[in-house]
Amino acid sequence: MPEPILTVTNLVKQFPVRTGLFGQKTFKTAVDDVSFSINAGKTLALVGESGSGKSTVGLMLLGLLETTSGSVVFDGKPVANLNQSDSMVLRRKMQVVFQDPYASLNARFTVGQTLTEGMRIHGLHETEAGRLRAAGTLLTQVGLPENALDRYPHEFSGGQRQRIAIARALSVEPSFIVLDEPTSALDVSVQSQVLNLLRKLQREKNLTYLFVTHDLDVVKYLADEVCVMEMGKIVEQGDVDQIFEVPKKEYTQKLLSAIPSLDPASRRLGAF
Amino acid sequence: MSDVLLSVENLKTYFRTSRGIVKAVDGVSFTVEKGKTRALVGESGCGKSMTALSILQLVPEPAGYIDGGKIVFEGRDLLDLTWSDMRTVRGKDIGMIFQEPMTSLNPTFTIGSQLSEAMTIHGKDFGTAIERAVELLDLVGIKDARQTLRQYPHELSGGMRQRVMIAIALSNNPKLLIADEPTTALDVTVQAQILRLLKDLQERLGMAVLMITHNLGIVSEIADDVSVMYAGQVVEESATGALFSMPRHPYTQGLFASLPARNPRGQDLETLEGIVPDAAAWPSGCRFAERCKKKFDACSVPAPVVEGVRCHLMVSGGTGGVENGEWGVGNQPPNSPLTTPHSPDAPEAIDA
Repeated sequence: MPEPILTVTNLVKQFPVRTGLFGQKTFKTAVDDVSFSINAGKTLALVGESGSGKSTVGLMLLGLLETTSGSVVFDGKPVANLNQSDSMVLRRKMQVVFQDPYASLNARFTVGQTLTEGMRIHGLHETEAGRLRAAGTLLTQVGLPENALDRYPHEFSGGQRQRIAIARALSVEPSFIVLDEPTSALDVSVQSQVLNLLRKLQREKNLTYLFVTHDLDVVKYLADEVCVMEMGKIVEQGDVDQIFEVPKKEYTQKLLSAIPSLDPASRRLGAF
Repeated sequence: MSDVLLSVENLKTYFRTSRGIVKAVDGVSFTVEKGKTRALVGESGCGKSMTALSILQLVPEPAGYIDGGKIVFEGRDLLDLTWSDMRTVRGKDIGMIFQEPMTSLNPTFTIGSQLSEAMTIHGKDFGTAIERAVELLDLVGIKDARQTLRQYPHELSGGMRQRVMIAIALSNNPKLLIADEPTTALDVTVQAQILRLLKDLQERLGMAVLMITHNLGIVSEIADDVSVMYAGQVVEESATGALFSMPRHPYTQGLFASLPARNPRGQDLETLEGIVPDAAAWPSGCRFAERCKKKFDACSVPAPVVEGVRCHLMVSGGTGGVENGEWGVGNQPPNSPLTTPHSPDAPEAIDA
């Protein structure tokens, strides 16, 4: 039985909301008692519609958002209340790729600066020259030319930018990456290039992915395990084949039946 | 061809930019038949949205301009109309829904005021317009229509706003509805409801739809006919069933092959390598050649359109296998005269 690299138990996130000008402070529960675990080298997909809380879960795992209650254990250590040095290690081991590569890259940094910043902060590679060499290697790994180091994000297309964002995540040698809708802003032909790249990197570096998405076709192709979220709760969770072949919960069935059919002879949406 | 409602012929929409003339739409032709749905499908930058905006003459000026072609709607060329005549077509004979329901409504006016404006502009009095607005909101499935009329856009969800946009577009019973990525910003379950709604309304009102999308699933669900666009041109034109069972252009084949849903788990996805060429400098030959797995010598000159497909393979007898079977014998050799792109006398083959 392989050890899970990440275990999430009874995770809750509440956001305070005020109703009216002098209204009582109440709480809106965005994530409600979420538990799951991921084995090393595997991909777990969190799927759901907007507002289901799937991105909030991702942010809490990364420590980018405080949890209200519940625990996240990564590599045997609880993510909350770490001391400075443990927290540094954790931030290196867990990385993220966001949805919109037009917003997630610093426009004033060259690609080289973007890729070496994390290495410098974490003290990877001895010299600046060494870091730039490592950055060059990363670019080749994600399918970009090494001379891209001196260029700025605006010189690249959406797909190329997403490759840069992936290279940035890899630059500090993580073992776990949160992929928050990494291909939804991309065209179909570019999406397939990026998905292939993510699969290749996972194989080569034994990466673990948490894939946050609403695109069920991509989930079916890429994920090992699936958690279906609705209004902050996990409504169904299981092996990808089980979820797609024999969905148990009504909500999962509804999501699956809303995927447009790719066969005009058997259109699906009549059911809606 | 009496059932043709809209016929776009050799449309050219160009932009003046610091890098020269960008030929965003470069000789596009297609028809929309009465009561039918045509999909214009393609990736970002292929010119599909600009084609839609050209039909309504909403191309951003002064950078953009229509350089040539015809847009024949019910027998008149819209490009010959005066500005004020065009205003009577826009929103009346032809309705349009845009992609972003979040930004295409005015946040400072109520739903009722925006919905009735569309009708009072085209001559209805306010009282009639409000009554009709209630009917319309009922029609697009908004419960409690009278209450909604008094609400502002921020009080509604994305799906609700898109329903309001559809109601506005339908308010004057248009003969043609242009829908530019109407569900892209929406969740899948809401997308399914909106597509279902469009289909229902179309059947009930006998309206034609021009659907602009990048999503092949949507095409499959609602289109009767499809034009696939690449780099400012239509590269394949076909009935929906035929396109999905046997795509003929290498670009269309590549698009289908790269869909995750059409690939087995655990194997690399088929990909279309490379990126779309720069619109300021389209390649002089076939525009897809650089990314094409079936490229051969002839591809260095512009491809002819044969039976709705803009590809040299249609002439020389294709050699490449097709995803869903081999090239059918009936597809070639071509029995229609070769036509060249850019020639105004040579409209593309419309009936595939």
